[in-house]
Amino acid sequence: MSSKTENHYNSKIADKVANDVLKSVNIGWSFKIWFAVLVVALGVCVYSYSIQLREGLGVTGLRDYVSWGLYIATFVFFVAASLIGMLISGVLGLIGYDWIKPIGRIAEIIAVAFAAIAGLVIVSDMGRPDRLPYVFMYGRFQSPILWDVTVVTTYFILSGLLYYVTLIPDLAIAKDKLEGRPKLLRKAYEIMSIRWIHSNEQYRMLYRIIRILLILIIPTAFAIHTVTSWLFAVTPRPGWDSTIFGPYFLSGAFVAGAAAVVIAMFFFRNSYKLQDYLTKSHFDKMGKLLVLVSIVYLYFNINEFLVPGYKLKKFDLIHLEALFAGKHAITFWFTQIAGLILPIILLMFKPFRKPLPMTIISVFVLVGAFLKRYLIVVPTQEHPYLPVQHVPEIFHVYFPTWNEIAITSGSLILVIMIITLLSKLFPVIPIWEVAHDMEKKAEKQKIENE
Amino acid sequence: MKIIITISIIILGFFYTQAQTEGEWIVPEEEAALLSPFEFTADDVKAGEELYLLNCKSCHGDPGKGNYIALQPPPGDITTDKIQHNSDGAIYHKLKTGRGPMPAFENVLTPNQKWQVIAYIRSFNDDYVQKVAVEIPETAFGGKIDVLVNYMKDENKLQASFIGHKDDETQPIVGAEVHAFAKRKFGKLTLDQVRKTDDKGLVAFNLPDDLPGDSSGYVQLSLGLVNMELYGEINKDKSLAFGVPTYLPPLNEERAMWNVRMKAPIWLLITYHGALLTVFGIIFYILLQLRNIYLEGKKNEED
Repeated sequence: MSSKTENHYNSKIADKVANDVLKSVNIGWSFKIWFAVLVVALGVCVYSYSIQLREGLGVTGLRDYVSWGLYIATFVFFVAASLIGMLISGVLGLIGYDWIKPIGRIAEIIAVAFAAIAGLVIVSDMGRPDRLPYVFMYGRFQSPILWDVTVVTTYFILSGLLYYVTLIPDLAIAKDKLEGRPKLLRKAYEIMSIRWIHSNEQYRMLYRIIRILLILIIPTAFAIHTVTSWLFAVTPRPGWDSTIFGPYFLSGAFVAGAAAVVIAMFFFRNSYKLQDYLTKSHFDKMGKLLVLVSIVYLYFNINEFLVPGYKLKKFDLIHLEALFAGKHAITFWFTQIAGLILPIILLMFKPFRKPLPMTIISVFVLVGAFLKRYLIVVPTQEHPYLPVQHVPEIFHVYFPTWNEIAITSGSLILVIMIITLLSKLFPVIPIWEVAHDMEKKAEKQKIENE
Repeated sequence: MKIIITISIIILGFFYTQAQTEGEWIVPEEEAALLSPFEFTADDVKAGEELYLLNCKSCHGDPGKGNYIALQPPPGDITTDKIQHNSDGAIYHKLKTGRGPMPAFENVLTPNQKWQVIAYIRSFNDDYVQKVAVEIPETAFGGKIDVLVNYMKDENKLQASFIGHKDDETQPIVGAEVHAFAKRKFGKLTLDQVRKTDDKGLVAFNLPDDLPGDSSGYVQLSLGLVNMELYGEINKDKSLAFGVPTYLPPLNEERAMWNVRMKAPIWLLITYHGALLTVFGIIFYILLQLRNIYLEGKKNEED
């Protein structure tokens, strides 16, 4: 066969990229220590969960009135963070922005990790997790909860597929360059690269697969977070009864996800020595993207609070008072100011779009995004339409218990574990795409010089 | 000391105004003096308890627990003085007429049932000594009364005859007030108006022609003599097909969003399964393509 003409990895440039990127694909001491810390921390959380499993949900702060608390807020947050994979690879990739190529895989790792654990968070909110199969056996097609289970699973599968198929050429490149790595890993690379030989025919098929996945993942991602918002918006309760909850959640998801990607980029850039690939220009562009999505989110926030605030229906008033001036005021204004408005203003100035300041800002954005999910889930349930009466005092207010916090931390640790494992076992920068781009640029340079 | 007195006065004043804002429920004197025509027995208390659970508990709560719901004015617990200080007749009147959020039970409970509820309420009051209405009017009819109901379809009228039997003698009940009701979901609907029997013991009611009946047009009717002191409790129930045939399917009969899984709307089933099939069909296609990539590589290696 003569189709084996264009070798994306045979040039010097591709060699250099492969060597730089594969340097971090090894299991060194620092990784082992880091992972051991994660395992120990997870052990504590698993112990906490075993208590909850034995004693029931009574060990949480959840009671009759506030029955969705930290767990569901975390679930919404995880689903939100996972959407960035779609925005960066799907939307920006299809439009044809080449600068996202080195970031694309990081976004996919974040998408896969958060989507995988989001479902698990729901299980942690169940008093009887052994009844999980009932959702599939008896679930009603009319229930947004069933839709949510369906779309989250689908999105996880699609994100996993997208992560994997873009990895295939890299696996083929890397399988010969992994001297000194565990035998099992090399064998896994061998099998997972499904006899990739960089032939034009294979590239043609791969490009088609990627394009189909990118197109498919956009509506799926929209569906997953819109359906998640419907879990709330299909009820008539103040704070949830909103027609813009779908886009409100989506835009908020992009804010959280973009911030998560920036933080991940910062860590990979420094600990994996990837300054040549995750350049300052990438941070600059991610900063602009973060400003854009934050402004869209701010716009939805204004809609979400100004319109009910203008009408001030009796129960909306109670809800808004609790947020603006009541017991949730500090959290609320922190999320709006430190998590949204200040980042928008600061990131408009170039110096703040440098890696370190932007990472710090992104941490605030991400924390704000998490607290915002808490504010969406909890306060509404604290003031139901019917009066709260003849119940113990602790039913009136919700505050997460240590058990709950530990179990929630456990799910976050699992996310970090997945991100760590994926980024340690496989290249975090798509070697073939980046090498291909660099080759094109070099060729262009050469022509210009002549 | 002065401060304590001042505060006490303020607090008392506060409670006083609280009591004022609730407004007193005034019962006419002759109504308040009304007494039960029979002596309350253990059976009456039991029957009253069942009626209480069915009709009263949802607002007044469990007796003695004070867990009545928050309404304005507050319903109150039936064991407390607030309710027990009423005379039997006053409670009877309040049950009958209702006020504010409390519905009128005049047509929901029969007079006997209302007295049974009162028997139940009094069973929580150890100090209560019942007084029974002992005076039976001289004109009272001591015999048995037969009621015959006849539907006159052409005129859409209801005719009833009240014939008394006493000591082998038969006489029409003349000049007695009769009321007619149709049974509805909550309580009874008064038909026409109270009418008096003529000298043959006959009475006729005009029936409405637009009253919803069951699927065959049947309406449950109840006729009775108003004056219980004179005649005792004389009632006659009858089912007549003078209503408009009405069939209201139960809300869970047709496919709907609120129904069980097997009765989900068709459009929803198509959308859900269609989307699922599309996406997983494409995923299957992608897996096939991955297999093709594998085969392509294998072929090349073999060459």
